[in-house]
Amino acid sequence: MGNGWLMALVTSTLFNATPLALAAMGGVLSERAGVVNIALEGFILLGAFVGFYFGLHSVFMGVLAVVVAGALFGLLHAFFTQKARMNPVVSGLGLNLLIAGATRYLALRLFPQGDHIAGLSPNLFLSLAAVLPFLLVFTLQQTKFGLRLRAVGENPESARMAGISPTLPRYMAVMLSGVCASIAGAYLSMADAHTFTSDMSAGKGYVALAAVIFGKWNPLGAAGGALFFGFFYALQTQLQINQYHLNWLGVEWTSPFLLDCLPYAMTLLALVSVIGRATPPAALSQEE
Amino acid sequence: MKLSLNSQSNLFRAVLSILAGFVIVGVLLKMSGYSPLQCYQALAEGATGIRSGKPINLSDRGFYIGSWQGNFSPYTFAQTLATITPLLFCGLAIALGLRAGLFNIGALGQMTLGAMTAAFVGAIGAHGSLKPVAGSLPHWAHVPLALLAGAVAGGLWGALAGYLKAKRGVHEVLSTIMLNYIALNLANYLAMHNLKDPNPSNMAAQTGLIAKSAWLTPIVAQSSLTVGLLLAVAAAVGVAFLLWRTALGYEIRAVGLGAEAARTAGIPVSQILIKTMAMSGALAGVAGALEVMGIHHRFVQGTAGDYGFDGIAVALLGGSHPFGIVLSASFFGALGNGANFMQIQTDVPKTIAVVVQAIIVLLVGLRFRRTESAKPLVLAEKEGRKDG
Repeated sequence: MGNGWLMALVTSTLFNATPLALAAMGGVLSERAGVVNIALEGFILLGAFVGFYFGLHSVFMGVLAVVVAGALFGLLHAFFTQKARMNPVVSGLGLNLLIAGATRYLALRLFPQGDHIAGLSPNLFLSLAAVLPFLLVFTLQQTKFGLRLRAVGENPESARMAGISPTLPRYMAVMLSGVCASIAGAYLSMADAHTFTSDMSAGKGYVALAAVIFGKWNPLGAAGGALFFGFFYALQTQLQINQYHLNWLGVEWTSPFLLDCLPYAMTLLALVSVIGRATPPAALSQEE
Repeated sequence: MKLSLNSQSNLFRAVLSILAGFVIVGVLLKMSGYSPLQCYQALAEGATGIRSGKPINLSDRGFYIGSWQGNFSPYTFAQTLATITPLLFCGLAIALGLRAGLFNIGALGQMTLGAMTAAFVGAIGAHGSLKPVAGSLPHWAHVPLALLAGAVAGGLWGALAGYLKAKRGVHEVLSTIMLNYIALNLANYLAMHNLKDPNPSNMAAQTGLIAKSAWLTPIVAQSSLTVGLLLAVAAAVGVAFLLWRTALGYEIRAVGLGAEAARTAGIPVSQILIKTMAMSGALAGVAGALEVMGIHHRFVQGTAGDYGFDGIAVALLGGSHPFGIVLSASFFGALGNGANFMQIQTDVPKTIAVVVQAIIVLLVGLRFRRTESAKPLVLAEKEGRKDG
């Protein structure tokens, strides 16, 4: 285990953090506007599927489809939670279930052999994930749209009194959130695995949401959270690749099963230690 | 989380959602080149066990309605009933959480650990044996013991999420999702290492067989239907009794209607949250124990299947009411087993049933107009007084 191992770990951390950070930006947008969004998980899977399927024809088509599909399903979540007054958790779970079932069905029907695509460079997604948090900070702090978004998230009633209808900023935020998360999914299928497998989001949407809370609903903080969790995904992968063995107290600590727990256990630990000091956007708890 | 529980409109809404789900999926099936009618016929056959034509297997019963000849397969119908069992337990688990305003997405993990613990306790007197052995405990003691073990394991795992919510403010959706992944991997680890099937030819992550004293015998030969279904129905009655006939149930519902108001009224909200999650987890844990004792006779990777998530749909369609859940679990059990049968008959992937389920969840959840219960309890009361 020399420098090579360390470099591999750092690189792997960055690439594991990429989809988490992209989805987390979606989480920040939606939650700062006051809409709980656990549909991130489904949006990631959606982006992975759509990007792969249309990417089989051309990369451009793939990317276009990812953006459109993300926006459309974001619109659905916004419609369900805002217009139809559905509980946001129910809407999120329903959409996640719908996307998981539909993509599994369509994958079996459309490409049972498991095709591969050349896809896109992972560096492209990495760069986007690096720039987007700063762009989002600027948007939230410096633009009229950002101000309105925060206003309807912190206090929809006051916003309404100031003449800002919560509807438009929220719809915009949740649609953009869908786009961000589905781009995260596109990374998984188009740049990382070069194929689509059912349920390949594997809880990354929920981990991204944890990164948002970890980063106290701030884009840069959420990106930091994504890096933190990405590190544990990377550590798990590197330990498995290197077949490093550690048997202590009769427990096979480096068993793939236990290593798989690592990112999830660390996410849980991070949530336990950070919450209480973090204040969510006020409208989130009201909407529940 | 507030649920409007006007039972009549809820039933109407549920039936409408189910119909819409089938219509939408019918269009999807048609678009992908299947005949929806043929598919739904196979689905109905698999769900009920009733087919047209002469009996195929020895155990099938033939009958005539007028000149129409049909046959009934007790085995197929028993499999539907067997699928209802874990759905009913998981649906109750999630509904109990919803009543206290909690989304227990962790039934999967709680069920998995319940299954693993029941497999461990069920193996008392049989540890290390390659063949099924009678075991050292009497049947009447071993079965309840293994079930209890499953309930305790699931309950503790649920209580952990309850504790994190009550004392640390961690949203239960996130904590239970993480706990699901951890539970699945822990159980698989144990099945691969410490509790691995002693059979040297076995490569899969599974434990050794449990003692026969902890087996549940099938009610219909070869099927997975056991006394577990009766336990599930009893659990539904139990949950109804708990919610509407005990002080604890009253407190659970009060917390669900508004934690702040409940706290003001002197209800120990944290304790209620933890207790509710413990009971919710225990119900899911029993579901896992039953799968082990009645079907696999050991823990195998994926014992909990998708029941934990299906339970969410069961609870929501059932309006979070135990008796509504008996109906919705029956529906989803029929849908699930019907889809298995349909996959064999028509080659339609059974995962299409998940799409039906998702559409139902989304449509049942639609509200559009603000119901009274969408406001905090105290506010609604004040306004009621003003109006009256």
